[in-house]
Amino acid sequence: MIATVLSSRLVNDLVLGATSGIVISLLALSLVIIWQSTQLLNFAQGTMSMFATYIGLTTIDRGVNQWVAMLLAILAGVAVGAVTERVLARPLYGQPELNAIVVMIGFSILLTTVMASIWSPDPKYYTAPVSTVFFQSGGMPTGLSPYGLFQLLVGVGVMVIVALVFRFTKLGLQLRASALAPEVARLLGVRVNRMLTIGWAFSIAVGVVAGIVTSFGDFGLSPSVLDSLFVLGFIAAAIGGLSSPTGALVAGLLIGEVTQLVSDYFNSGYALFSSVVILIVVLMWRPQGLFSKNTDRRI
Amino acid sequence: MRRFLLRDRASGRAVWAVSLLAVAIAITIALPPITNLMLVSATVMAVSIAGLSVLTGWSGQISLGHGGFMAVGAFVAGIVSRDAPGAPVLVVLLLATVAGAVAGFIVGLPSTRLRGPYLAGMTLAFAFAVPPLIQAGGELTGGSGGLPLDRPTAPGWFMSLLGTNDPTSAGAHWLAVTSLVILALVLWLLSNLFASRFGRSMRLVRENDVAAELVGLSLPRIRVQAFVISSAIAGLAGGMFALTKGGISAQDFTPVLSFTLLALMVLGGIGTLLGAVIGGLLSAYSDDMIAWLTSHFGIDPGSNFSANLKTMLFAALLIVTMMVAPRGVAGQVSSLRTKLTRRR
Repeated sequence: MIATVLSSRLVNDLVLGATSGIVISLLALSLVIIWQSTQLLNFAQGTMSMFATYIGLTTIDRGVNQWVAMLLAILAGVAVGAVTERVLARPLYGQPELNAIVVMIGFSILLTTVMASIWSPDPKYYTAPVSTVFFQSGGMPTGLSPYGLFQLLVGVGVMVIVALVFRFTKLGLQLRASALAPEVARLLGVRVNRMLTIGWAFSIAVGVVAGIVTSFGDFGLSPSVLDSLFVLGFIAAAIGGLSSPTGALVAGLLIGEVTQLVSDYFNSGYALFSSVVILIVVLMWRPQGLFSKNTDRRI
Repeated sequence: MRRFLLRDRASGRAVWAVSLLAVAIAITIALPPITNLMLVSATVMAVSIAGLSVLTGWSGQISLGHGGFMAVGAFVAGIVSRDAPGAPVLVVLLLATVAGAVAGFIVGLPSTRLRGPYLAGMTLAFAFAVPPLIQAGGELTGGSGGLPLDRPTAPGWFMSLLGTNDPTSAGAHWLAVTSLVILALVLWLLSNLFASRFGRSMRLVRENDVAAELVGLSLPRIRVQAFVISSAIAGLAGGMFALTKGGISAQDFTPVLSFTLLALMVLGGIGTLLGAVIGGLLSAYSDDMIAWLTSHFGIDPGSNFSANLKTMLFAALLIVTMMVAPRGVAGQVSSLRTKLTRRR
């Protein structure tokens, strides 16, 4: 009885939806971190994260251990985030919104072509550090593999770490203070500019985690593998309200489930469109998102 | 008096448009068929960029999904001309325009309550959502293979006017002339719209929405109207694309198209019609420029680098333009002109 339930189509879909949803949540969270610190929606988030993922994971070709390569990718993410904030994003603060959007879109396209030039646009496949064979239940495959479990644990772990850092450390307090009241924070001795750089570095590092877990999956490591996930991440972040980490988590899981169910029961071509429809409906109903406490129109 | 002046300016614009159009048509006679077809794709892009420019430059809203609106127009045009083979081209293009307007209305509705990054992200999601939707369309949209379409042929009177019997050359020539006429018509309508009460309202909404509301303008209505006009023009451009390319598929309307439109608009000059024309020409001739660059610098044409060179240069130019000269080529030209006239 339990075996039939565990290997049923619906349960499989729900589990698969959660594993892809957690990746969407991570990307949404990484967007929220940058939005909260700089009021800038980073359209290059996905490609910046992939760039760092490439730098890290391709060291496996030179015989580096998989786990070390992952760590290298995250460190590369920190560097990519910090450098981009210093060089590209800083001149954009206080400029019209249009300029920031256009520049970050341009940067995203530029990075994609740079990645395709260096590493070729074709996907590279690396053996996952954990088995990707689905667990069996009563002789039937379920929707969960050890790798899927790993993905879920990593996603939840990163979220918990981010929440703890923001809430309970001095760095987290300074980060929040710089975002909320930069002038006051500066007067109280917080180095606001440094906090912005740290915020970006932190955010891209979170994005890289999403990039890593995706790249070990079925689609492999490719320059554009995170593109549609980034779009779903944006949708989740916007539904959650762009300033709420909890909203990012819940909306990410929701979008993951919806896209998986639509793909399986209707057609995978409708998956992205269905989330756009959800986004339009939610934003028409509550423009500030479902989880944002702000009632005024800040967008 | 003021009304008279306005009308005077309007007729001045019409004279300019007609004379420029005549010059452009005269040039097409001297061009070989292949160059005429490139000119056609330049006009298609110019029309689409002009539509985007209205939205971004005039009403201050950004769309990263105009390739999606082009796709809607293109597939409506494609499906109509497949299922109703005798339909006049004008009717097909009109339907494509209406389809673009409807799509723009739906996607633009949230613009009543959203601005800036939210709206940009939503249109970006639209750009990503459309190609898979087309591929899943089955027989209606031709699935992943797309729709093969015949190019309209030159009418008999046009061929006898040219004194030619070669249908290929006359066909290319005919497409170039008709697309130029459509482009001129669109630019003329838009320049009138720019000077109209509605055009001024849009610009006020962009510059200062509080002031706009205080003088009694309805912000939501103007924002959605701008979206509808802009996407209607994109739909028209999509229809032109479908009729002139000899076939369309989902691959033609990836998000890259939307990004390209944005890049070309910024390079040409946001909110200027001259910029739209510059952008269109840039897009049509960029492949040739890249081919020249690769051969000149001895880059292996089969390498990943040269395959990505065009997009890479566009992206780099986009960033540099936005950071250094956000008004684009047309903006530089007009500021140069003011400088020169002031010195005199």
